[in-house]
Amino acid sequence: MISRVAGSCFWLHRYVERTENLARLVRVNRSFVLDVPLADHDRWLPLIIVCGERERFAELVGDAATVPDQAVEDYLVWDVNNPVSLVESVRWARENARTTREVISLEMWETLNDLWNYLKRGSGRRAYRADRDAFYKRVKDQADLFLGLAESTLLDDEPLAFMRLGMWLERAMQTARMLDVKHHMLGPARRGGESPVEVAQWSALLYSCGAAEAYAKRGPRSAAPQGVAIASFLLGEPLLPRSVLGCLDRAAATLTRLREEGESGLGGEAAAHLDALRARLRSRPLEEIVAGGIHAELTHLIDETSVVAGHVERAYFDPDVEAQRALLT
Amino acid sequence: MSRSKRRKPIRKRTATRASEPPRPLFEGYTPLEGAYDELFTGGGKARRGRGPVVRRLDAVGVRDFRLRQRLADNSFLRSGITFRVYSDQRGVEKIFPFDLIPRIVAEPRWGRLERGLVQRVAALNALLADLYGDQKILKDGVVPKEIVLGSKGYLSQLHGVRPPGGVYVHVAGIDLIRGPTGDFLVLEDNARTPSGVSYVLENRLVMKRVFPGLFQRLAVRGVGEYPQRLRAALDGLAQKHVREPGHSVVLTPGQYNSAYFEHSFLARRMGVPLAQGSDLFVHDDRVFVKTTKGPERVNAIYRRIDDEFLDPEAFREDSLLGVPGLVRAYAQGNVVLANALGNGCVDDKAVYPFIPKAVRYYLGEDPILDQVETFLCSEDAARQHVLENLGSMVVKAVDASGGYGMLFGPTSTKKLQKEFARRIQHNPRGYIAQPVVELSTCPTWTKGGVAPRRVDFRPYIVTGRESWVLPGGLTRVALREGSYVVNSSQGGGSKDTWVMGSDDDAEEAE
Repeated sequence: MISRVAGSCFWLHRYVERTENLARLVRVNRSFVLDVPLADHDRWLPLIIVCGERERFAELVGDAATVPDQAVEDYLVWDVNNPVSLVESVRWARENARTTREVISLEMWETLNDLWNYLKRGSGRRAYRADRDAFYKRVKDQADLFLGLAESTLLDDEPLAFMRLGMWLERAMQTARMLDVKHHMLGPARRGGESPVEVAQWSALLYSCGAAEAYAKRGPRSAAPQGVAIASFLLGEPLLPRSVLGCLDRAAATLTRLREEGESGLGGEAAAHLDALRARLRSRPLEEIVAGGIHAELTHLIDETSVVAGHVERAYFDPDVEAQRALLT
Repeated sequence: MSRSKRRKPIRKRTATRASEPPRPLFEGYTPLEGAYDELFTGGGKARRGRGPVVRRLDAVGVRDFRLRQRLADNSFLRSGITFRVYSDQRGVEKIFPFDLIPRIVAEPRWGRLERGLVQRVAALNALLADLYGDQKILKDGVVPKEIVLGSKGYLSQLHGVRPPGGVYVHVAGIDLIRGPTGDFLVLEDNARTPSGVSYVLENRLVMKRVFPGLFQRLAVRGVGEYPQRLRAALDGLAQKHVREPGHSVVLTPGQYNSAYFEHSFLARRMGVPLAQGSDLFVHDDRVFVKTTKGPERVNAIYRRIDDEFLDPEAFREDSLLGVPGLVRAYAQGNVVLANALGNGCVDDKAVYPFIPKAVRYYLGEDPILDQVETFLCSEDAARQHVLENLGSMVVKAVDASGGYGMLFGPTSTKKLQKEFARRIQHNPRGYIAQPVVELSTCPTWTKGGVAPRRVDFRPYIVTGRESWVLPGGLTRVALREGSYVVNSSQGGGSKDTWVMGSDDDAEEAE
């Protein structure tokens, strides 16, 4: 397929995944802040940090610890100056869909376009004011519907593979970021067990990743404190399709297939990086990684996953003309 | 407002409401005086062959029609069938307004029109081949040399280049109007990149969705095969004349182009990749597309980028949309470009008056289609006439389209007329003028009920190894009362166009 179009497929799913994650995250947080008494800076600031928007938010809106919750939510959902706001993610998802109309199915397009119209034509705004939980649910459902339609209406071929690759890498980074925001509650330095608030926070994190039921089924597998057990689960449970390792494994499988089907030997660097990351996560017991400074580990994971995405980009989406010419001679 | 006017006394709204017959859609419809109405005779009767449609729409009634019109609008919005208005980079997306009352062209008139269109395209093609070849028509003095070779669209560097299969006008959109007698007249030729065909196909789909009953047993001819016809035309030429295997692609300027929806639509329905300039490159005078598996050969390009932006090596150096070296590849016969380069010299409005001569010259036939009398401002006597009658004429810039660069005399201000007089004197070759033709009208849904609105018609002709006329076309309608301007950028909308047999004629009298 055309390189640029492959790139649009990759980004299409990244943006939809981001939309889904954010809608879920905000929805969970809304209910969470009602349940537990939290210091102001623990209420909404973490979401701004997960989105990597701390500085811009401070500049455009104010101190997240002191502005009203409403301002944070508005920023996360509607602000067009926030490049990762819900409305911007949907806009860019749709822009990528617009440039891949000949690749995606009509149902996928209509689903995404419905979501866009919902946000842009008033009914979404009305729901946001009148029944916010339903608003987030609708956004999340529509995004999930889109991702499901990709799996059920497309040929299991290159375009879908690039979509999946984008989705897995994006999701790996999202889960890593969510974990990172809670990292300060972990570590050997802490003593005296976990407070009820902390337990509630860990539980909220599970819900934010849609992993609460999975965790309950799996059960804590060690005597570690609940925070460590949950962090380990979200970091390294290979069966969980939202854990960092689970996402990276699936990304690697997708990339392997792409490389096997291509004849040009492209994608080698991305694959090597990805394999190194996965090996590193498997090299030590998860509890040990978590307890031994998870912040540094997560920062490394996020940075390296970006590097993988960069290699994919250069290999497949934006090939140098001279390199392509070289393949001809 | 119309709602309150129609509110009936309460006794009428009670018991009988459910069984009350709906108010007929065309009740009270009055055709516009002096214009040919597409559905009704001057006496207010349905024209021959239109009876069944009129009866069915009447039976739908005003209320239900309004509902369906809204369904249709939502359907366009839902499917994202929009065009972009350039106001900023993000662009505002608009729906091309669609009117649900169809425009009908029936046999035998359609057959005649079809033959006329094929004939005209053949003449345009022969003229192009000649102008970029031996230039016999100029040597024989049939068409003035300075007019044709002085056209901005004439690309002298392509003189001597013959495109694969000798086909120049792969897709033609010939704009037609109907005068008061009902005869079709050619208003202008579009031999470069006529747009709008995606609306023809989408309009039909929406129409079938909201009005399934209207189509029953009427044998309206389908329009859906257009994309495959276009693909077959390109593939056929490429296979025969380029020989080495390769892709056909659609080339778009990109997603911010106002017609991007159409480019994407066509690629999708043709089943070919949609490429941008940066996706293609030329190596060894052959065109390749950059893919995830390395470069792949491209043999045919349906390009929706204008000539001057197509190849920065040959034309505008600053073009970021084009493909460097594409013209070289084309000149070597290694790629089919549809439409060919340099076609702008035959759809130049100053060349238009000579097309009937070209028909006779190349084909030895009389033109089947008439056209509108045209004054070339470059000719002294004609210019004088135009300048003295600006208030009653339509003045057009020879290389403009989309309804821009136009003076519509009867509704123009003295100030604008003066401005055009100045422009004409300054650049006589740049303008032509035509008398105002009273366009035909078609009943159209408006806020105040059904009313006559002016329409034009753009049929599409696809030419590969032979020509094929899409049985239908784009009917554009000037939605504003009294307006003659049908362009989407200026308050125009569209209608579905039905080509039908005349089988039903027997039951309808004029």
